[in-house]
Amino acid sequence: MISRFFRPVVEGFKGVWRHAAMSLSSIFSVMMSLILVSLMMMFTFNVRRFTQGLEHSIQIAVTVDYGHEAAEEEDRMALAIKDIPGVTTVTFSSKDDELEYYINSVANEEAKKLFEPYREDGKNPMHDAFYVEVDDGSRLEEITHQIEQIEGVDEVEYGGASATKLVSALNLVRLIGMGLTGALSLLAVFLIANTINTTIENRSMELGIMRNVGAKNSFIRGPFLIEGIIIGLLGSIVPILMTYFGYRYLYGITGGHLVSDMFVLLDPEPFAKQLSLALLAMGVFVGFLGSYISVTRRLRWKR
Amino acid sequence: MIECTDVYKRYRNGVNALYNINLRIDQGEFVYVIGPTGSGKSTLIKLLDGEEVPTKGTVKVIGIDVGRLRRSQVPVYRRNIGVVFQDYRLLPTFTVFENIAYALEVIGMDKTLIRSRVRGVLNLVGLDDKGNAFPKELSGGQQQRVAIARAIANRPKVLIADEPTGNLDPTMSDEIMSVLERINKAYGTTIVMVTHDSGVVNKHRKRTVALEYGHIKADLPGGGYILDDK
Repeated sequence: MISRFFRPVVEGFKGVWRHAAMSLSSIFSVMMSLILVSLMMMFTFNVRRFTQGLEHSIQIAVTVDYGHEAAEEEDRMALAIKDIPGVTTVTFSSKDDELEYYINSVANEEAKKLFEPYREDGKNPMHDAFYVEVDDGSRLEEITHQIEQIEGVDEVEYGGASATKLVSALNLVRLIGMGLTGALSLLAVFLIANTINTTIENRSMELGIMRNVGAKNSFIRGPFLIEGIIIGLLGSIVPILMTYFGYRYLYGITGGHLVSDMFVLLDPEPFAKQLSLALLAMGVFVGFLGSYISVTRRLRWKR
Repeated sequence: MIECTDVYKRYRNGVNALYNINLRIDQGEFVYVIGPTGSGKSTLIKLLDGEEVPTKGTVKVIGIDVGRLRRSQVPVYRRNIGVVFQDYRLLPTFTVFENIAYALEVIGMDKTLIRSRVRGVLNLVGLDDKGNAFPKELSGGQQQRVAIARAIANRPKVLIADEPTGNLDPTMSDEIMSVLERINKAYGTTIVMVTHDSGVVNKHRKRTVALEYGHIKADLPGGGYILDDK
């Protein structure tokens, strides 16, 4: 019973070794395809991260009219803003907080002193404000317009059309990336299946002989499937190492972000590990599927 | 042991390969089937090993109606007959030992038994020392002996040999014939040997069935090559 279970495994390993040249070409094909898939996935997932980060960082600043600064008025306004679909958080910032923030954002210490008199009671020219975050960057304009309709709102700002354009552009890049990853994955499956198919085509005589001596299809198929899995496994080693260590290296030399803090890369822990596991699963699955399709097709030919 | 009754075979492309074949071969017999190219010899072999089904009539081997076998039953049926081909059909990346053992692994035989069985048949065909060799390292005659050893490893009741001496010189052909005769005597295996090697047929006389244009032209119990030797 045990030997029956292990026979295909042992024969699968022997098969890879017996047809070393063909196995190597299949392994190479798996390797190249998975490297491309890995690069595309790294790109796509990071662009998604950028977009999400950007969407998150774009806030709508709502200033409150001087005549509506009573606590109950502001509670009413906060609730009205929260009720707008797509709004995730509403944070209140008092006019004193606003002034502090403004003064702190001035780099020149001499210039800071110019604003000191405004700290005195009744002299603060700033407005109370709300900072609103939304779940979808593409709806900024629409939500801004809705906030403007609320009574007591003085002014609403969200970074203008350029912010929504940047979000839209990143979304487009992300979509293209996802499409490319999908297409490339399909191409990888096709490429690997084709290589394995050629390998098995060269061994169709072998399949015929096995049938002649009375082997059932399942008996013949087993070792070939294991061969496919082994080829997938071996072919995914280099892409996994490149992904795992390469991404960590990239993260290390860039300090975890590109150009500015807005473009933060995904943390290698767990991203590199998850991507490596995905590549391993893909290699094994594609190797198995390629072998299964090719062998089954050749075992169907006659009685 | 083998019984063909009113057998006709017409291929899908319209070629009529066999007409009204009636043939009975008893257990332990050694029979030649001779005939020129296109006479239906190969079709007869394909009907016997279950690769083809008759258009009409029945083909029974060891009591099994081969034409009625379902596709899934064919491999199991083939374990009961041995087939030897002109081109040997050995697995090139398997050693001699592994080639023979494969036919026994297929039926789930125990490893220890496989080892002793393979040694036994290698001894019978005179290749005791070639177990670890690969087919390409052997001569044509030796490769054919390996193919015979593989075909009989499972102790089949019937051995079908399709032009087993076709690629061999007269000396090697004699070697193969003596191996086949030894098997026929030692195990009582029924042997059907398709050939157009007049030298072999005339030298090693046995019952000879001559096919021509898909018909049985003659069935000679005393043997001899009666066709034009072309």
